[in-house]
Amino acid sequence: MTPPELATRWMHALTSTAYIPLSHAEIQQELRDALAQLPSSPESVANRLVSLHATGPDSLRVTIEVLAPTFELPILARLSSAYAHAMRLDAFDQQEQIKVAIVRAKQRVERTLKVSQARFREVFDSAALGIVITDLSGRCVEANDALARIVGLSRGADLHDRDLRELYHPDDSERLDAAYRRVGAGLVNGFRDQRKLVRADGEPVWVHLVVSVLRDADGEPAHHVTMVEDMSELHLLQRSLDHQLLHDSLTGLSNRQHFVTQVERRLDGTPITLYHLGLDAFSVVNNGLGHDTGDKLLKIVANRLGELAERKRAVLARIGGDEFALMTTSDTVTSTVEEIQQALGEATFVDDHGIALSASIGVVDRPPSFATAAELMRCANTALRQAKARGKRQWALHDPHDDARRRGRYALAASMPGAWEHGELKIVYAPIHLLETREVLGAVARLHWDDLSHNDTMALADSTGLSLPIGRWLLREACAQAARWVEEFGAKAPSLHIALGALQSRDEDLVADVKRALDESGLPPERLRIALDVSSVLAGDDNAVVLHDNGIVTALDGFRGGHDELAVLAEVPVRTVITRAPAPGRETPLHQAMRGLITTVHGFGVRFAADEVHTCAEADDWHAAGADGVIGLLPALTAAEVTELLATAASPPPAAS
Amino acid sequence: MAEQAGRIPEGVDTGRPSAARLYDYLLGGGHNFAADRALAERFLRAQPNARTIARLNRAFLRRAVLFMVDNGIRQFLDLGSGIPTVGNVHEIARRADPRARVVYVDFEEVAVAHSRLILEDDPQAEIVQEDMTRPEEVLAATRETGLLDFSEPVGVLAVGVFHFVPPEADPRAVVAAYRDAVPGGSHLAFSQFTGDLQPAEMAGIVEVMKKSQNPMFPRTRAEIEGLFAGFDLVEPGVVPLPLWRPEGQNTDDPDRAGIYAAVGRKI
Repeated sequence: MTPPELATRWMHALTSTAYIPLSHAEIQQELRDALAQLPSSPESVANRLVSLHATGPDSLRVTIEVLAPTFELPILARLSSAYAHAMRLDAFDQQEQIKVAIVRAKQRVERTLKVSQARFREVFDSAALGIVITDLSGRCVEANDALARIVGLSRGADLHDRDLRELYHPDDSERLDAAYRRVGAGLVNGFRDQRKLVRADGEPVWVHLVVSVLRDADGEPAHHVTMVEDMSELHLLQRSLDHQLLHDSLTGLSNRQHFVTQVERRLDGTPITLYHLGLDAFSVVNNGLGHDTGDKLLKIVANRLGELAERKRAVLARIGGDEFALMTTSDTVTSTVEEIQQALGEATFVDDHGIALSASIGVVDRPPSFATAAELMRCANTALRQAKARGKRQWALHDPHDDARRRGRYALAASMPGAWEHGELKIVYAPIHLLETREVLGAVARLHWDDLSHNDTMALADSTGLSLPIGRWLLREACAQAARWVEEFGAKAPSLHIALGALQSRDEDLVADVKRALDESGLPPERLRIALDVSSVLAGDDNAVVLHDNGIVTALDGFRGGHDELAVLAEVPVRTVITRAPAPGRETPLHQAMRGLITTVHGFGVRFAADEVHTCAEADDWHAAGADGVIGLLPALTAAEVTELLATAASPPPAAS
Repeated sequence: MAEQAGRIPEGVDTGRPSAARLYDYLLGGGHNFAADRALAERFLRAQPNARTIARLNRAFLRRAVLFMVDNGIRQFLDLGSGIPTVGNVHEIARRADPRARVVYVDFEEVAVAHSRLILEDDPQAEIVQEDMTRPEEVLAATRETGLLDFSEPVGVLAVGVFHFVPPEADPRAVVAAYRDAVPGGSHLAFSQFTGDLQPAEMAGIVEVMKKSQNPMFPRTRAEIEGLFAGFDLVEPGVVPLPLWRPEGQNTDDPDRAGIYAAVGRKI
């Protein structure tokens, strides 16, 4: 038999006696190597067999049977005794390993028991409830200090070995004893009761009892556990104090703090709705009829809303002078709002004054469960302010998007002064292209801050009152820069265009500011174009006229083509109107309309330009519609970049492609 | 490894035989005690072929794991892993792909301690001590290890364990819970004793094990097929264990194996 054949036969014999976790090919290779090694070192072959786990009860027998025809007896004898030795060592190793596992398992069990005992001890010792463990005869095995205090002792240990029945009030003793016996006999799992115990000083004390059974390892009842809650007067006084902390003293309703914790408790996905009510014109009552009347009225309101809340199983609170809050679940907002108004609207006679009330209501409906109670209260308040702004008896639903937008805008506006102070606002220059020749006509100076566009930055600046100082700064800086370009590049320098924000366009100092900027920089007036916000001329402001009289060419920005705007064109001497309308795609009705509009504008002798035009296709659309110029076709550049471009270009700045 | 103090362990008593150590003994291992070996001798009297069955079952585990690896599975959940004697899932899978990850599940203190000993330096394999018939707890503990990604197919192994699951534990619901926790393309490998093949021997085994910590509950082929609801059984279906995709020429008598095997793929 060839060695490979022998290895195959050996493999089949071995794998039917023991599990060897290898593929047949791998086992065969191992055994082929073993066969080669066998004559010189039967001991290492024996070790290999054991480490392969060829260690079934019959593995050695089949090995000898397979190998006997081919190998001499002395070799097989050495193999056998080495195999037996290796098996012994292997068994020792495994026994060693399992012993370590046993020791570790035992340690773990003990540790776990200790942790669990420590945990029990912690609960037992720190519980506000009295806890006592008694054996089935009623003897105290262990009691905590809380129980000792309830019965007028100082430490739980004082109760050790005493009969719990000694603590029962004689009136209750018999009945309680019977109840304990039923639990001890396994008839019931436990009981609850309200009974009297007797304190060490002989005074009775009312308690809630909760009694259950502890079973031993075989499941037999072995001990009773009794939990004891003190219901005594002192205890009740404490609870009353708690009540006062959480309730409004005038109306008895929950106060804001209590309401917020109740909202928090429902923020688990329950579909809640919050109503923030503000009584309309309550100050009129207070001021006109006096605070006593006001207080009486508030109590009546609280009563009526209380009835409504009870009907709707809602939570009601008085959260401010004349403000109430209501939390409902699975509610229909419109009908609840109507019910609230009805409840309040019924005329009320207070001190002979008939008063009908109404409320403005802010509503937060089914907020996401990740919202915090404080956030919801704030949102409800915001909605209430919106409702109040619309007049009496109004309600407003909190709009999460609106809120986010408003907050984002406030945050941005708030950071603007700092940003300006730190020089984060930059001036960039966008090219104006003449559509007919594709030449660059000039550069528009614009503000650039963060990711905001010029117009957004100006609008934001308008809302903070910063737009005037920022606008003046832009005017000064851009004129100085344009003058430097004229000085350096002469006729090749771009003309400067500045679009002003709405506030600055109407500023009565505008003309003086422009003249000062020109004087200080030395920029020739014909090199400056001022675009005024169209709203200023519509409002009848005369800045456009005065600028024109001073030789400065003006344009109107934000042109939308309304009749009022067209009418102005007849009166105000402007060179150009600038629109931010979207490009009128050809073959669309918009194209026709725009074409008509532009023809009309041209009829006034005014040119037509479009801002925010970013692609050649859009520029072509505008061209086809008859527009004269576009802004934005190339990205805006910093002053330094423009200078560099002017220096390298043979022809005027950024040439259109 | 974090201590789970929430549960009081049952304790360690080497005087009570355990199924995990019985299996180890039948496989020729040395991780067992006198009580286990005494039970094994009674077991062998009822089913003289028990050593072969143990060996075949272990070999099926290997074939099933390699089959899953071939089908793209790289993470395994081994339910009722016992005392890993030889040819453990992580060893088999890793020979095929070193990135394979395994979570073993067992409840018995010594088996868990032994597995911890073997796996303590292994970052890609871990044992969780839970009752495999309580899938929510097993799955929660498994997720806590962070080893398995439940958005990727998982190889669930229930090899030689469900015959310890009594009907009251609702084996169909147990399997369904694991099935629902893993994504489509996951696999379930399953083997368990049956009375279909050798009724007399099976009855003897049930009798021997009745008084142990681990009584046994054989199941029919139809019952086992029923456990694979929501899975496509891969060829050759539920078969006597040696017939499940044997390696090379099968030399074992399938009817004397006394145990069925199957692998399913979650639809």
